[in-house]
Amino acid sequence: MSYIAALNKRLNILYGGKVFAAEENGCLFIKGELSQWQEIVHAGLISVNRKKYIGLVNEIRLSGVEIPPMKLPEFADNTLEGKSPEVLVIGGGIIGCSIARELKRYKIDVMIAEKEHDVAMHASGRNDGMVHPGVDLRKGQLKKKYNDIGNRMFSTVCTELGVPFRYVGQYLCFMKDWIRPLIAVTPLYWKAMNVPAEYVSRRNLNKREPNLSSRISCAVFFPTAGVVCPYGLTIAYAENAASNGAILCLDTAVLDMEVENGKILSVLTNRGRVYPKLVINAAGVFSEDIARMAHDHFFSIHPRRGTNIIFDKKAAYQVRTIVSSLGTIDKKAGHTKGGGIVSTIDGNLLVGPDAIETYERENFETRPDSINNITVKQRHTSPKLDNRDIITYFTGVRAATYEEDFIITFGKFTANLIHAAGIQSPGVTAAPAIAADIAKMAANYLGAAENEQFDPIRIPIPQPSGMPQEQRDALIRQDENFGVIVCRCEEVSRGEIQEAMRRTVSCDTVDGVKRRVRAGMGRCQGGFCGPLVAQIIACEKNIPLEKVRKNNYDSNIVFGDNKEVI
Amino acid sequence: MKVPHFDVTVIGSGPAGLAASLSAANEGAFVLLIEREARLGGILKQCIHDGFGLIRFGEKLSGPEYAQRFIEQLPKTSITIETLTFVTKINRQADGFMITLVSKDGIREIITESFVLACGCRERTSRQIGVHGRHCSGIFTAGTAQYYTNVLGKMPTKRCVILGSGDIGLIMARRLTLEGAQVVGVYEAKPTASGLMRNIYQCLEDFDIPLYTSKTVTRVFGEGRLSAVEVSDVDEYMIPIPGTEKIIECDALILSVGLIPENELAESIGLPMDNRTKGPVTDQNSMSMVDGVFCCGNALHVNDLVDYVSESGEAAGRSAARYLPKKRTFAEIQTDDSFLYVVPQMLSITELKAPVTFYFRSKAERVKTRLTVTADGREIYKKAYSQLRPPEMERVEIDFKDMRITTDSHICFALAEVD
Repeated sequence: MSYIAALNKRLNILYGGKVFAAEENGCLFIKGELSQWQEIVHAGLISVNRKKYIGLVNEIRLSGVEIPPMKLPEFADNTLEGKSPEVLVIGGGIIGCSIARELKRYKIDVMIAEKEHDVAMHASGRNDGMVHPGVDLRKGQLKKKYNDIGNRMFSTVCTELGVPFRYVGQYLCFMKDWIRPLIAVTPLYWKAMNVPAEYVSRRNLNKREPNLSSRISCAVFFPTAGVVCPYGLTIAYAENAASNGAILCLDTAVLDMEVENGKILSVLTNRGRVYPKLVINAAGVFSEDIARMAHDHFFSIHPRRGTNIIFDKKAAYQVRTIVSSLGTIDKKAGHTKGGGIVSTIDGNLLVGPDAIETYERENFETRPDSINNITVKQRHTSPKLDNRDIITYFTGVRAATYEEDFIITFGKFTANLIHAAGIQSPGVTAAPAIAADIAKMAANYLGAAENEQFDPIRIPIPQPSGMPQEQRDALIRQDENFGVIVCRCEEVSRGEIQEAMRRTVSCDTVDGVKRRVRAGMGRCQGGFCGPLVAQIIACEKNIPLEKVRKNNYDSNIVFGDNKEVI
Repeated sequence: MKVPHFDVTVIGSGPAGLAASLSAANEGAFVLLIEREARLGGILKQCIHDGFGLIRFGEKLSGPEYAQRFIEQLPKTSITIETLTFVTKINRQADGFMITLVSKDGIREIITESFVLACGCRERTSRQIGVHGRHCSGIFTAGTAQYYTNVLGKMPTKRCVILGSGDIGLIMARRLTLEGAQVVGVYEAKPTASGLMRNIYQCLEDFDIPLYTSKTVTRVFGEGRLSAVEVSDVDEYMIPIPGTEKIIECDALILSVGLIPENELAESIGLPMDNRTKGPVTDQNSMSMVDGVFCCGNALHVNDLVDYVSESGEAAGRSAARYLPKKRTFAEIQTDDSFLYVVPQMLSITELKAPVTFYFRSKAERVKTRLTVTADGREIYKKAYSQLRPPEMERVEIDFKDMRITTDSHICFALAEVD
């Protein structure tokens, strides 16, 4: 029996004839209608066959539910009409921004289209900032290939871009005593997988991470795990790309494409029609939509929501590295995969994430059950985690394919297209490697020469609170604004906030400032500094306070003068 | 360059810090007053409602007027004032403390024999109480909304829900109503209001603003700006009851859900803290468990009236000025479990000449209650109350002179019903 026939038989039994599979142009399509999203995802996961098909496209409809379409910028203009960049990168996440920067190593005109008002607004700004050693990756996966290379590139990239980064290492902890002899030999497995690993007895673990649960029987230490600020790195990539000449178009959404004979002729945005020679699809959860527009639809994204919790720096003593545990809860109890406790590069504890399948690609709402599940689970590892130390939480949505692997390839049916799609964890780690590879592919395609003028160095925004006293003093004497503390919790000065708005990537929102210099990231969550930051933005951008926004459109903070607005 | 020396350094120029610096100067101390904002007065600057100073001045003043009473005394003193100045580090050293300051002029260090923490408090945030949903704009703590309305003259809302019935929330309900905004209601998860009775009457009842108890906000909606909130009934453990959700359209959620003393500086120098007050443990002279470090006002414990904050600041400033390094021995104040807290937590037994002022809050609402203070079983103080409410702080003065208090003494505060 052929794979399709066998699969159809299985789908028939599982879903009572409501779902069927069919091959189209070497891709496996599954179609039909089901009433539960979980079932649709499950049907996709059991249908995947990487050996036989280019990819799996899941077109099963969710009955009675209109999947929310991509949210679009609320305005349209013609500023981009007729522009013809050599490369149009769709998506201003870490993948799009790193690709744009690497493309500038060649003599290539680059335009980035990002539909949000800032870069790193989706998954790149909503993850745990972990640079993965590659513990759970397998040979043959693109994830594995790019994670391994990316991990080794991180120090160099972060040094060039002026982004704080540290290899802190990760402990993978095990709870059961009987498993110890087995775990003691696993470093050999990881060695074969090219992942440096070291067995750590309970006693040694207790010395190195003294606040973990006494129930932990042993651990494996992975020294190549690191921490970085993922949106900070994305912004740095975007700034460096822009200072090397890439054109970053924010508030710019791709609406449609004109495709003829396997070639994209033009790309329609809300700001006009653009005529690129080559399109790079780095659109995250929307990469499937872009593939469809480009007549190159051979994969599907099943979005997976994850919530992370940020704890006060006061709680940071509990974990100095990255710690995660296996075997803490009953597998049947739900999502056991992933999640851990990360001592972030900024000195907080980050706890999470969870993993929940969802069809809402842009619903970043947080839910109490997520917080509860995460804290209950992670308390098995670090029993001192106290919910009273929670200062905030956030949700991101991962762009997973059914193959659960990255898609890094030229279009299968469309020639002038490169996909950097299906990038979920470990996307941050892999980004430098993916970007370098894709830039090379693009340069070959376009026959572009090297750009001798490329400057890989980005000067970061000064951070006086982290400077030696003399250096900080000298900086303040140059510009007194660096001596006026605006955000008391994170000790951020007015000078830093002003500088955040004077960079090559525009920033004019309270959240934009927050993500660049951490004003409002502390325990008072902007209670004191929020109005001050808003005033600095109004002053710097010469707009009235009521025009200052939190992040996107309509996120105004005040309505206008007292009495006059009612 | 010579490092400037001070007898007393006061950190924070709100009501506590102003009073502390003035009283220290009155004692003849050479005082430095440090304020991180541009102007003195702390949170009083934005409290334009009246009711300040009833106890202290016998008048109803606004916040700025109240602060002004202290600020206008400053020029007559030798107090050095540094505004827009931020303390980044405090190091203990042989001759006192080295404090590192950041300001427009750069980094400076000063040496002080003693210092007073008068850093006030901050507001609990929406995340700390587990508000969920979208991360839209339009979620404010009451103090932040007050700053926008009163200092910047800008409306943070046209129609809002207030969560929490703390005093600032009640005052903002009235304030926003006066500015023309619609306050849909004040929602309180606890079965009783958290604010002062006078504020319930003057801010809510007089303006027909409904107060809903045992209800909380469980979710917020809105893509950019907040567009609605979901409120739910809660059970006796303040857990939302499924099925009771109700959606209220509004453009802002304003939170008045508690204040937390700001003690990051105190923690950085390792002061032992009281888990109940969230402030440092102090003796009757407002001195923490570290010699030469004093604490007062809302940084010590959250007060209900500014008059008490000033009193606390005055006492701390005076003690700081009189401070001489000498060994202290303590008797610990014990309480039964009917108190939210009692301050101070320690008696320095070598200095029991003057009566000791205690502040306390009852854990629950009580009627016809008697406070009894015993030392080793002997009753040394008692006072009857017709009513005790957690929002209202109580103040008592107890004289321990001739009580033969030693480090082994059991001094115990207890509350009991009276017939």
